[in-house]
Amino acid sequence: MTQRRFKWSSIYLLLVFVILYAPILFLIVYSFNSGTTMDHFDGFTLAHYATLFADTRLIAIVLQTLLIALLSALIATTIGTLGALWIQQTSRPFFKNSLLSFNNILIVSPDVIIGASFLIFFTTLSIPLGFTSVLISHTAFSIPIVVLMVLPRLKELNGSMLDAAADLGATQSQTLRDVIIPFITPGIFAGFFMALTYSLDDFAVTFFVTGNGFSTLSVEIYSRARQGISLEINALSGLLFVLTLVLIVGYYIVSQSSQRRLLRKKRGVNR
Amino acid sequence: MTEPIIRLTNVFKRYDDTEILKGIDIELEQGKFYTLLGPSGCGKTTILRIIAGFTSATSGDVYFDGQRINDLPANQRKVNTVFQDYALFPHMNVHDNVAFGLRLQKKFSKADINQRVHEALTSVRLADYADREISELSGGQQQRVAIARAIVLKPRMLLLDEPLSALDAKLRRDMQYELRDLQQRLGITFLFVTHDQEEALAMSDEIFVMNAGHVLQSGTPVDIYDEPINHFVADFIGESNILTGTMIKDHEVEFVGKRFECADAGMRPNESVEVVLRPEDLDITTPENGKLTVTIESQLFRGDYHEIVAYDSDHNEWLIHSTNPATAGQQVGLTFEPYDIHVMRLHETEADFDARLERYDDEQAEVKRP
Amino acid sequence: MTQRHFTSWTYYVPYGLWVGLFVIAPVGLIIYQSFLDLHHHFTLANYQAYFESGTYLMMTVNSIWWAFLITLFTLLISYPAAYYIHQLKHRQLWLLLTILPTWINLLLKAYAFIGIFSQAGVVNQFLSLFGIGPQQILFTNFSFVFVATYIQIPFMILPIYNALDDLSGSYINASHDLGATNWQTFSKVVWPLTLPGVKAGVQAVFIPSLSLFMLTRLIGGNKVITLGTAIEEHFLTTMNWGMGSTIGVVLIVAMVLIMIITGERRQDRGRVR
Repeated sequence: MTQRRFKWSSIYLLLVFVILYAPILFLIVYSFNSGTTMDHFDGFTLAHYATLFADTRLIAIVLQTLLIALLSALIATTIGTLGALWIQQTSRPFFKNSLLSFNNILIVSPDVIIGASFLIFFTTLSIPLGFTSVLISHTAFSIPIVVLMVLPRLKELNGSMLDAAADLGATQSQTLRDVIIPFITPGIFAGFFMALTYSLDDFAVTFFVTGNGFSTLSVEIYSRARQGISLEINALSGLLFVLTLVLIVGYYIVSQSSQRRLLRKKRGVNR
Repeated sequence: MTEPIIRLTNVFKRYDDTEILKGIDIELEQGKFYTLLGPSGCGKTTILRIIAGFTSATSGDVYFDGQRINDLPANQRKVNTVFQDYALFPHMNVHDNVAFGLRLQKKFSKADINQRVHEALTSVRLADYADREISELSGGQQQRVAIARAIVLKPRMLLLDEPLSALDAKLRRDMQYELRDLQQRLGITFLFVTHDQEEALAMSDEIFVMNAGHVLQSGTPVDIYDEPINHFVADFIGESNILTGTMIKDHEVEFVGKRFECADAGMRPNESVEVVLRPEDLDITTPENGKLTVTIESQLFRGDYHEIVAYDSDHNEWLIHSTNPATAGQQVGLTFEPYDIHVMRLHETEADFDARLERYDDEQAEVKRP
Repeated sequence: MTQRHFTSWTYYVPYGLWVGLFVIAPVGLIIYQSFLDLHHHFTLANYQAYFESGTYLMMTVNSIWWAFLITLFTLLISYPAAYYIHQLKHRQLWLLLTILPTWINLLLKAYAFIGIFSQAGVVNQFLSLFGIGPQQILFTNFSFVFVATYIQIPFMILPIYNALDDLSGSYINASHDLGATNWQTFSKVVWPLTLPGVKAGVQAVFIPSLSLFMLTRLIGGNKVITLGTAIEEHFLTTMNWGMGSTIGVVLIVAMVLIMIITGERRQDRGRVR
């Protein structure tokens, strides 16, 4: 009986995964199509990849997107980590909860609201729409996720560990440098990584706050897709998919090894 | 007498509306093993935290070597702590954990640090574990690292916050010997916090029994066990039969409707008192030879003795520790000696109690002299 | 707990500024803007227009209806998927494979469906085999809901999976031990205990579904108008920021309502426990 149930569940899962991956594989397969549509596969070619690499405008946009992502993630990680420290060591529950609520507003807000309100904000302050406004926006909406990734780590850092540091003679700044920061580093990395993906994945906010001269990949794909099928975009997806895979496998290896360390720690305590 | 290493005078601690400590006065001398003993929530850990500097007293003074240290931050106090959960830094290995405090001081060479860490680890028998990760250690080994990390700084005093509570029974017993041994080797003051009376009795030079923010009684383990000041202490330390009674006159007390000769004196005639009889002081005999007659209800074999529960005709429960088994339902006699009876006055303070004991000791001496 | 300060207050200035400038100020500005007309004069006309004209209210109801459908379908597909994934041997790896598609740019996935659903695309080729094609699939309500559901599935699976992961196996053993069948165990133990995960998933899917304007443009062919589409239109096409902000305020109110509802429930659970 269990075997039969297992089989049904496998078929169901298989179906779900086929649906999840079919569109992506479909895109990549047709990136090698020598035709011009995604309807019939006429033959194998790398021509679209060649077009892609010759498309300096698109390549510039890819580089801009990466630059925005790295810069915004870096700034957001710094500010977010400091914010998490603040929230964690606030003693008044009301103030702490208020800070947390404010932190979460941008996480639960729909993209359009963030985009629209930031657009009003930049216009009010006469900040030019373009690289600056996009960078500020990406930093702003990445900060709360960094806070949320760092906070659990800070909570794990229990009171007696900080007492122990003071007991052994550490000053406040020594405790911060030698105990707290090393301890929450995994959370900081996770926050940075999330900020990076938030930035790379964003379309709506950028769409609102960018000006004429500046574009990110998402916005560019949107405007090209509205004009119809172009297999150059397929080639781009193929490249991005490989890049994402590399990133994820790297992150998976890093997080697995730190998780294993954590598991070992738990086992050690239980023994 | 030399200046005590730690002196707390009239220390109060309040969190919001709850009073955790209600006027604590204690003095700790150099080189002794002290224990704060009490049920959870009695304030014993708070005293430890006040001495370590993790929290401050709401009022009252804390003196270290005669210097008032109320406002001295924890990182400048010459005491170190072994935490209940060990609080080892998980991102450092054993060596780095132990070296942590030394490195902060910036006055030791690398060789110096290695030497000292090695010594500390050797004294807790973990010399070969310096390169291990904390997560690779068992609970008992983590405990030893925590001790090494605290003693490597050569503190004047070591504070131990229920350090054995997470260990299993066998390991706990071994660690009791080791801690006692370590304290004597180092010659520094240990202040040990526990709720386990056996642990306290086994290791301490002096015990402070606490309840609800007060120190109820302090003294050597033998004193506290033999002469508990009140119902709470008698009940908390060891097992006891506690009965209400009346002190008829010096050396004569009445309980369970009978009068008995006893060793206590110095109370008002016909004063209401409580009487303690330890289970191991009760001997089972035939009903004719007993001072009391009880009926055996049930018994449990505890390994080195039989724990017997019996009831007298007034339905008082009697707990008896006996080397021989009994038969349930059987009527037996109980005997005990006059000095097995411990009489406690109701609401007596520790100072009055000590004064009365002293007077009584003098009397005894006078009786013996002629 | 004693108060612990491991940093000086100057470290908190950037985060404090962020809260002030990018959380409080924008919300304030969007509310302020909603009371302005095209000439930046104070007016209540936007709200009047919203509540009096049937089109805006219908659009809101429609938008909520589509978001509800998307959330429902996502939940129906995701719960069993999360449940089965959790039973797999290498479940961490499978979970990662579930999340992987979310890291492919949203626009690329939408673009793929333009190809798949097109007049001569693979779905229509497949339907033709049975003689029921070609059909108009792209630019229909169906295609919008389908693609939106497709995009949201991983965001629903993840919290449900986490809730299942938090569920101690001993509860299930205890339930069986006390004589419950598999179905009874599921309905009386597993489902109630994973409900927080379901709620988190619903929250994560419902609110964004109200504002998926790029999908309504690329896949829905402007047939479906969501609140998000309307806001985008007012801000970037007709440049009527006041009206756009008014709709934005409505969306914010809806969002706050949803959060209060889930928040209160969580408190109830706390009290029961």
